Amino acid sequence: MAEFECRLKKYRQMKELTQEQLAEKVGVRRETIMRLEKAQYNPSLKLAIDISRAVEAPIEEIFVFK
Amino acid sequence: MKTNKKKIWIGCGILCVLSVLLSSWYAVAYNDSRLVVPMDFKDYVFDIKDLPMIVSLSLVCVYLVALFVMLFIHAGKKQRQAVETGVTRKINPKLGCLGVLGFLGFAGFWTYPVDGTVFPFAFFLFFGFFGFYYEGKMSGTFMDERFRENIAHAKLKAYRITFGVMIAALIILCQGKLFGNLEYTLIAAIIILSLALGLGIFLSEYLLFRYDHDDQAEEGGE
Repeated sequence: MAEFECRLKKYRQMKELTQEQLAEKVGVRRETIMRLEKAQYNPSLKLAIDISRAVEAPIEEIFVFK
Repeated sequence: MKTNKKKIWIGCGILCVLSVLLSSWYAVAYNDSRLVVPMDFKDYVFDIKDLPMIVSLSLVCVYLVALFVMLFIHAGKKQRQAVETGVTRKINPKLGCLGVLGFLGFAGFWTYPVDGTVFPFAFFLFFGFFGFYYEGKMSGTFMDERFRENIAHAKLKAYRITFGVMIAALIILCQGKLFGNLEYTLIAAIIILSLALGLGIFLSEYLLFRYDHDDQAEEGGE
């Protein structure tokens, strides 16, 4: 199975967003953002696109499957 | 529910109780306690003096049926609201105390030897109401996609366990008469099925709480 790496924290901090603010922007709970940043949760395609738009970075740069 | 409506329902309930008390007093004082003390209905002949008792008992029955229908509709409305707003329904965790009703199941051990009634054993199902405690603790939680996944995960695990218990019970009980008595087998089946269903109701809420709570305990804020 491919190893999942999430670089969301880096892009979020570049956009100077807190987890709470990002969560509100994409319509999820803060805990979900935390799980994503720890690569402990695979988001749906919709959430991945929403996050990508929110942090203005391409999906394949944020979510990496090695 | 609006406070006015609540007051009306409580008022109707009090009226019903009062009418039963009054009609019972009337029956005891002027009607030889007919319909108050246990009587043989095979030889029952209607008497005009029975009317207050019949009317009050009918009122209580209508009230109880209306109350159940209203509660059912109200619960459905709340569930629809939860789906529309994406927030879990609001429930007081104290409702979990209703799980104590499960102990009514033990009444079966008293009713069975007395008159062979076995349905009170089904009250063990009410142990599942302990799950309201955990549902209440998660009241008003925003249901994002991960929370919905957790719901599905918790339900699946709870149903798997329930199904497993039921299959195990079925295999054991199908071996034959328990203690050489088929009625004991039926009683054991009722008890196990009720407990298994109660477990399913409880576990789906408890596991969801655990999944969500464990997530929060692991995570640090920022």
